[in-house]
Amino acid sequence: MTKRRETAGREKRERDANGRDETDRVANRRETNRLLTIHLLLPTIFLTAALAGGVRVEGASRALAFVAPPLVTLVLAVLLLALFARGRLVDLPGWLSHDNAPLANLSHALTLLSLFFASAQAFNSVLPDAGLFRWLFSFFFLWTLWQNQFASLDARRTLRAVVALFGTAFALKHLLLASLYAPEGGWLRRVAGALVEGVTQGSLGEQPTVAPSTGYISFFTLALYVVGLILLPRAPGEGLNEATRALSVVEDHRRLATVERDEARAEILRAELRRLEAGDREPRGVEELIRSDDD
Amino acid sequence: MRHKLIQSCGIAWTLFYAAFVVWLYATAPRTLSELRTEASASVGTYAVDEARFQAARELFRREQYRAAREEWLRADPARRDARTQFYTAYAFYREGWGHLYNDDALFRQGVEAVDLAIKLSPGGALAVDDPDLRIHSAAELKAELEQGAETTWGDLNPARVLRERK
Repeated sequence: MTKRRETAGREKRERDANGRDETDRVANRRETNRLLTIHLLLPTIFLTAALAGGVRVEGASRALAFVAPPLVTLVLAVLLLALFARGRLVDLPGWLSHDNAPLANLSHALTLLSLFFASAQAFNSVLPDAGLFRWLFSFFFLWTLWQNQFASLDARRTLRAVVALFGTAFALKHLLLASLYAPEGGWLRRVAGALVEGVTQGSLGEQPTVAPSTGYISFFTLALYVVGLILLPRAPGEGLNEATRALSVVEDHRRLATVERDEARAEILRAELRRLEAGDREPRGVEELIRSDDD
Repeated sequence: MRHKLIQSCGIAWTLFYAAFVVWLYATAPRTLSELRTEASASVGTYAVDEARFQAARELFRREQYRAAREEWLRADPARRDARTQFYTAYAFYREGWGHLYNDDALFRQGVEAVDLAIKLSPGGALAVDDPDLRIHSAAELKAELEQGAETTWGDLNPARVLRERK
């Protein structure tokens, strides 16, 4: 009897030890993947977007042309990064901090720098290359980004806004304008020609002729850029411990409007009440509470 | 340890990739073959195609200057060899030279080519030892081309018809 109990105890201890090893292995893998994403994958993605954003394929010769980011795209990229910081998509003090090792700060700075140039080149790829439309697009980009600086945004909304902004600009440049100024006469040119004779013949909005592959390159650039933004953590150490996550949740809560904040508090209290009524008296993490609340 | 290794690799890789992107925008190759040529020139493995160079010299001797220039361009697509650029400039000179008047457009292209040859040669001094040529130094060829492209009262001198092509 005693022997059987001892054996059962030993087996339980072994199972616990194996479980702990597996948990450690998973945590190890997670940590390695996190480091690889921040220090290798993200710079690669953003630099590839920066490279592809300025590539054009000329219409007749099919020759490559590399368009360096114009000054206006650098200004737009600064505004976009400010928007990321305001929308807490990027927590700058988390990325660059006195608490970090110099090597870590250098690596983080390079990742942020690659994000900046990827942003500039993402704008470059959707900005018309010449004429009145170039100025119109630049103006609307500036207008939108400036307006959003004062909007109440969280990380998810910021990301959605950025995707919508680039998606709209892509459709306007590579579908509408490309069709309007296609040398062989796109569908829009024919429609415009039928409606207002000579509207497409003016030099005000004339665009340089580019091959259709330029549109595909631009699409690839924007897709890569958005994937990079999705993978980008708010701060490199985010999610490492419960305290950081809890602080982040509290920070998000503070950014809500008063009505939304009251609603969130009421929901948390309702969830807590339901849990207590069900007899669950174990303490739970803030995120877990909110997750169960979402369910 | 793992942290530092990944960070160091990340920094090295990011700097290398960023340098590649900057290089690509600086050189702006128009085709993939130009990209290959620029890359080999950057890493120091670039060399002039000697067979094409000699074929171009043969065309030059037979006074087929335009064909010779095209062949030299194929031999040195990145335009990084001083000797080839010197010959190219010489071909512009010979084709543009005339008893009554010179072709200014060809002479100006010749000046561009010889300027490039001087820029590419160490110390800016280039001498080509070729018995078929009457001008052997890049500086002399440049002076000849510049003089030929200028419009002066001397152009009206009837004795010009007696001068010889170099």
